[in-house]
Amino acid sequence: MSIAAIRSGIAANLRTISGLRVFEEIPDQVSPPAAIVSLNSIQYHQAFSGGLNIFSFTVRVIVGRAAERQAQRYLDLYSEPTGDSSCKSAIESNRTLSGACQDLIVESMPNIGSITVNESDYLAAEFVVTVYA
Amino acid sequence: MAKYVVTGNKVSIAGTDVSAGVARAELTITSTEVDVTDFASGGFTEVVGGLKSGSLSLDFHSDFATDGINDVLTEDLVGTLVQIVLIAGNGTAPTDATPSYTANFLVNSLSPVSGAVGDLSTFSVTFPMSGSVAKAVA
Amino acid sequence: MAKYVVTGNNVDIGGTDVSASVARAELTITSTEVDVTDFASDGFTEVVGGLKSGSLSLDFHTDFGAGALNTVLTEDLVGTLVTITLIAGNGSTVSATTPSYAGSYLINSLSPVSGAVGDLSTFSVTFPLSGSITKATS
Repeated sequence: MSIAAIRSGIAANLRTISGLRVFEEIPDQVSPPAAIVSLNSIQYHQAFSGGLNIFSFTVRVIVGRAAERQAQRYLDLYSEPTGDSSCKSAIESNRTLSGACQDLIVESMPNIGSITVNESDYLAAEFVVTVYA
Repeated sequence: MAKYVVTGNKVSIAGTDVSAGVARAELTITSTEVDVTDFASGGFTEVVGGLKSGSLSLDFHSDFATDGINDVLTEDLVGTLVQIVLIAGNGTAPTDATPSYTANFLVNSLSPVSGAVGDLSTFSVTFPMSGSVAKAVA
Repeated sequence: MAKYVVTGNNVDIGGTDVSASVARAELTITSTEVDVTDFASDGFTEVVGGLKSGSLSLDFHTDFGAGALNTVLTEDLVGTLVTITLIAGNGSTVSATTPSYAGSYLINSLSPVSGAVGDLSTFSVTFPLSGSITKATS
């Protein structure tokens, strides 16, 4: 189990959403709709013998310019609990990330708002993913 | 002197190392208190130790895979005695600084199904010790 | 090794799947402790397991919809025994890693009306097991 394998696994799950560009590192240029997988925090020593660490990842989904109505429609689709475009469903479609972790859960989508990339404002949502590995 | 942060105490149940499924282990050995106060006690109570006993508290992460905790501690063991070996001080083998404690414990409780939605499935037990505990430093 | 976050343990009451109304399920199987300490016990207490028993704790979301929880667990069942089957490990079918546990439980308590203004209506129960638990892995 490695952080890189977990990040890669989450990205692979997200790539099942048609039309969503997925990045495992922050790209120089963003072409929405795009998802960026970022490591947020790690809690080490959750069991003896290194039996468990808890990783918190943030998946930022950038849907488009903040003023575009299409951006807001994309956001609804990506935020749905289920459905072909649901980020939660896609990330949880393979909860062991093909062996990269023991289990994961999309805890919440706590933030929706504007982010600035290259002097442009985009509408984005953040998904909190907790990975047990 | 070497105080230590718990990261890897070792727990073996019936010969299987289950440490990776354990988040907390606490062995407590106790003695009853027998009052021997008499007229010569100078106005204070006097006591001696009576029968000794022990208990082992463990916090587990549920795991039904082969050699996971639920594959080792199965429901048919409830009501039976099981040998459990602990190595303290984050040790993997007994030494002066990482002594082992071996004893028989009564599996008096298991929770094969546990946890609220969204939480890691865990369960805690406290097994009473039966007989003495053997300590080893080598 | 496969620890797991609880998202979909399966709860079936009297043949009806009520999982969608359950937020927490905990099955505990226990044994009494019978003291067998004698003069040969070397100063330590010795125990063996006695009678076994169990209990099932469930946290429910109240739902009076057709076929929903409160139409399955009805007040006339209070004081009767009901078969409840759990599938652990987030399973929907029985396997080695998603075993089922079936038992007969006494419905000793229900709260068909519950909750403070502004809160989701929920209620919690703990049903004692009557008789043995049957575990299946296929």
